Amino acid sequence: MRLKKIWTGAAMILAAAALLAPQQEFKMVIRDGMPAISFALPKFAAASPPVQAAADEIHQVLTDDLKYSRIFQLLPKSYYDYIRTLDPKAIQFKDWESVQANLLFTGEVAEAEGGETAFVRNLYDVKSQRPILIPKRYQAKKADLRFLAHRMADEIMKAYGEKPVFESKIAFVSDRDGNLELYRMDYDGANQERLTFTKWEDKSPSWSPDGNMIAHTSYINYSAGLYISQIYEGRRIAVSTRGGNFSPCWSPDGKKLAFMSTMDGNAEIYVADIDDEALKRGAFRIKRLTFNPGIDTAPTWSPTGRQLAFVSDRGGTPQIYTMDAEGSNVIRVSFGGSTHHDSPAWSPAGNRIVYVARVENVFDLYVLDLRTQQISKLTESNARNESPSWSPDGRHIVFTSNMRGGLQIFAIDYDGAGLRQLTTKGQNNWPEWSY
Amino acid sequence: MKKLLILALVCLLAVAFTVSCKPKAKQVAPPPPPPQAKEQPKVEKVEPPAVVKKPELSEEELFLSKSLEQINREKPLQTIQFDYDKYFIRDDAKFQLESDAAWLKKFRTVKVLIEGHCDERGTEDYNLALGEKRAKSAFDYLVSLGIPAERMKTISYGKSQPLDLGHDENAWQKNRRAQFLVIEK
Repeated sequence: MRLKKIWTGAAMILAAAALLAPQQEFKMVIRDGMPAISFALPKFAAASPPVQAAADEIHQVLTDDLKYSRIFQLLPKSYYDYIRTLDPKAIQFKDWESVQANLLFTGEVAEAEGGETAFVRNLYDVKSQRPILIPKRYQAKKADLRFLAHRMADEIMKAYGEKPVFESKIAFVSDRDGNLELYRMDYDGANQERLTFTKWEDKSPSWSPDGNMIAHTSYINYSAGLYISQIYEGRRIAVSTRGGNFSPCWSPDGKKLAFMSTMDGNAEIYVADIDDEALKRGAFRIKRLTFNPGIDTAPTWSPTGRQLAFVSDRGGTPQIYTMDAEGSNVIRVSFGGSTHHDSPAWSPAGNRIVYVARVENVFDLYVLDLRTQQISKLTESNARNESPSWSPDGRHIVFTSNMRGGLQIFAIDYDGAGLRQLTTKGQNNWPEWSY
Repeated sequence: MKKLLILALVCLLAVAFTVSCKPKAKQVAPPPPPPQAKEQPKVEKVEPPAVVKKPELSEEELFLSKSLEQINREKPLQTIQFDYDKYFIRDDAKFQLESDAAWLKKFRTVKVLIEGHCDERGTEDYNLALGEKRAKSAFDYLVSLGIPAERMKTISYGKSQPLDLGHDENAWQKNRRAQFLVIEK
């Protein structure tokens, strides 16, 4: 009797362990130069005619997202004609192998309560025929289907150890409603929405890593102050209002806000400590990092938060420098033909810094690889290209350009491919991609 | 005795006679009555009370009666310009700042905002710092001319508020400026 109990107990424990054991993990690391992963994305099945439009919309947005990722190569449309139509309940993996798909994504759309849309999806590794993601059912309102598709694209990115991009936002400045105000939009330019509503000018936004706050300059009461707007709480907190305060940059860990201020009479770089207590009381510990009579401005954090890059004209002309987070170990990193550099942005993926350099009144973006010291020119449009900001995965850069007349915001890939225009209404600049 | 008495009486009579012969006041004929004026209605002109003359407003009182908007519309302070990528005060700007200082000394209660601006050929971040330097140069020069620092504030707009939207040196020069806004009178 006793022995039987022990065996039963052991069996139960083993069974539970088997259930809890994770699916076999696919640890793939994306490296530059790797051939893109072949991704099969057949049309989604619609459970009933009323949700066909929803199925098509989700499919289109997901297709666009995956194309943008630069990691996945979508299967050419013609390849789907070579094989049997997909039945999500009985997948013929050999078919998909025959058209050289590495991954297969299946989806089914159905109606849900309250007029909402339900979506069930699966992602498979074709060769091993195993699912990569835990099967999941999503539900969303018809107006939010884009966000549903973006959520799925991000899940796929995360499965590959990549930073999610498709739910990220870009903050920017626009004069479309008369005054210079802050706005935000989806990574692809959709859903442009206004964020500030005072009669004073706002500019120079920087996102907190959690996406709930934007630090920015605001000209309230004829003073260029640095403020933090908590955009979901409708609250604005003053950080520094003495002198002129500009160019904030939030550290990747969310605990520090670097900015330029003339509070001591000259443009220097300062860092404010950000924590819940300081935000609640509206009082911040601020530390000065630079101490020379030249202009020091435009700080940007390294992904580790242990270094900053910035602009200084301490050597005579504005150049890019790096220093450690305490302000010591200042090293110049920009050289070459230009005498005017500005607006560096340190890639979240590590060792690259994008910046603006002026050569004969043409402003272009350049990318400096800190490891190899190689500089590559990113834009080539005989125009003014400025204010670059990296996507969370470091594969795309958003920037301001007048290449098509006026000031508009464009995005480009890290290797100069995929130029696309994101704004058209009014004049738009100061783009800043969220974490 | 009798003789004496008669003598006294005669003397008395003589005196009385003299006295009574005092020439009598001439009987002046009463003045003739004034000539009768013709019968006419008498008109008395009533003047309105004299017009009160307002004491002339002193220039200062005139100034204070205007609104800030009005004052700024009149552009009482001259805008100064700068060289490309520079923030030092040029000689032509010095003359302008001297007349600005004179105006500020005349209207002693005024406080101004000194705005630093750049042209489109600079970059956004650096231009904000350059604008600050331009405003500060003007501020420092005015302080050296005797204007108290508490009456002035500085601010930089970088290149976000051009005066001239053109793309030539004419436009750019107009945009590289420090300009004044009266913020308190």
